[in-house]
Amino acid sequence: MSEIVKRAQEELDKRYNRLVALNASSLCTRCGLCADSCHFYLANGDPEVAPAAKTERVRSVYRRQHDWLSRLFPNFTGARELTEDELDAWVDIAFRYCTMCERCTVNCPMGVDTPVVMGAARGTLTAIGKAPEILVQLADAEIARAESIDIFKDMLKEQIGFLEEELREETGDPEASIPMEKEGSEILYVALSGAHTILPAAKIFHRAGVDWTLSFFEASNYAVFLGDMKRAKAIAQRIIDEATRLQVSEVVITECGHAVFSYRWSTPVWFGELPFRIRSLIEVIHDYVRDGRIQLDQTANPDPITFHDSCNLSRKSGLAEQPRAVLESAAADFREMTPNREKAFCCGAGSGLVAVEEWRDTRLAAGRPKAEQIRNTGARVVVTSCDNCRHQLGDLGEHYGLEIEVKNLAEVTARALC
Amino acid sequence: MNHETLLEFVLYDLQLVALTIFVLLYAIKIRQLLMLPLPLEGGAADQETSTGRAVAVSYASILSPLAMESTRRHWRRWAVFAAYHIGILVAITATFTIPFTPGLMTQSVRRVAATAIALGLVAGFVKIYWRLTLPELRSISQPDDFFGLTILQVWFAIAIPAVLLNHPGWLVVYFVMTALLLVYVPVSKISHYIYWFFSRYLFGRRYGRRGVL
Repeated sequence: MSEIVKRAQEELDKRYNRLVALNASSLCTRCGLCADSCHFYLANGDPEVAPAAKTERVRSVYRRQHDWLSRLFPNFTGARELTEDELDAWVDIAFRYCTMCERCTVNCPMGVDTPVVMGAARGTLTAIGKAPEILVQLADAEIARAESIDIFKDMLKEQIGFLEEELREETGDPEASIPMEKEGSEILYVALSGAHTILPAAKIFHRAGVDWTLSFFEASNYAVFLGDMKRAKAIAQRIIDEATRLQVSEVVITECGHAVFSYRWSTPVWFGELPFRIRSLIEVIHDYVRDGRIQLDQTANPDPITFHDSCNLSRKSGLAEQPRAVLESAAADFREMTPNREKAFCCGAGSGLVAVEEWRDTRLAAGRPKAEQIRNTGARVVVTSCDNCRHQLGDLGEHYGLEIEVKNLAEVTARALC
Repeated sequence: MNHETLLEFVLYDLQLVALTIFVLLYAIKIRQLLMLPLPLEGGAADQETSTGRAVAVSYASILSPLAMESTRRHWRRWAVFAAYHIGILVAITATFTIPFTPGLMTQSVRRVAATAIALGLVAGFVKIYWRLTLPELRSISQPDDFFGLTILQVWFAIAIPAVLLNHPGWLVVYFVMTALLLVYVPVSKISHYIYWFFSRYLFGRRYGRRGVL
């Protein structure tokens, strides 16, 4: 056994908890019902990329170690020894052909949690240096940024200054601001790089009269995609420390699916009870509309609009109704895709796939079911609350000739502000 | 050993030994599973949710082919699944009713039970056919899939005359086969059903807490 395989086996063993054991057991009956719930399978009809086939690659290795019958008769049960070739194959099945969207899980009569198995594979591949380099670099950059934040602070403040001028112009209020490092604020807003995640939110906060401050850090957490929870925790730590230092009441995560998912569900495990709550921007906008803190004019968005459910938000976090309620108020012609909410198709580029340029063709092909859904609505505007999906939907629009504009919920809401 | 003694031995003693092994093997497997750490996520959805209700919905999904896109789209597979598992349930139940409540096994009950098992047998052939012909099934099938299906087909085939005719010869074969299955099932992939209870619970808990279900 080579050194790398030995290390990989150790990493797999480290990840062998009750969830992995359950999902790597004979829970999967290999019934194949999951196949056409997967956008990758629908894209090319290759049985090797069906969820059961992908997880079987990883499961068969676990089986060789932990299943009684497989230890004695590996050929009988299809159990495999881990090899370097097998690990290379895992890079494709875990990073390239699975977006961890959980659509197969909600369509599995047994409830097999594919992302649990794929997460173990991703974590193992990351630990032995076989994860896509760009994802590792992006995760490391997030940590490095925290370590040398003072270098970035002035530069960021200068850039925000330009956006502030734009905000004043658009709101007509010379006092409108995008505050940073404001202690005791009600909200610490964590955006992404890109004005589209800052300016519309700033307009909404301004109109709602909220006391807020902008985070120095981005919401994204690429280590989550790597299955590297140690690094993911270090990245999340930056926001937790900033919120604690500024003594805010609430951390609001911008429209970013994996960021909301990880801050919402993982931080309580990593950091225990926190002195502030963590919510998504879409929940906050929804509450402002519901409570009458902002009024919207539907005629500001007259074109047919549809909504794409981010897997991390709708299927994995139960945030399906809030954006719809907002869109009903902000758009004149809101149309649903079918299927939607927790049953929606993945955009085809989740869990870091969108960042890996050499796999662009794979994600564009995997986005075909989504492109067809969009086309069937006849919508001219597609709203989504995830920047990853936004990027992919824009590319799908071009690739499949959809003639659509892709916007986030805050942009549509800000445009409809009365 | 005469026929009557042999029948009594396979109906009671052999079943008891096999059932004991069956329970012991499962106890060890479940203990091994429960000894592992369970990494559960924290937090809960802001909206009102009921984890208990979500768990119940999760369990009930097996009875509702309309609940999932996969079973809705492939309703034939769900129907075959249902027929197959009803056949198994009836064949298992018969191994208890025949020795312990023989009065219950009237001729009409026997006919109904044999019919259910026969339908299970037919469903088993369909399952084997699909496993051999559908590409997405063939690519993931292993020898133990076919072995498991085959031995259950043999068991069904023996159960039908045993239940219907109540003939000692058939009953001996049926109960010996049942005993062998009781020992094999916990170590094989047929044991999926025991994990189903854990999996559906965790599914319901997770989606309930997150406010999805």
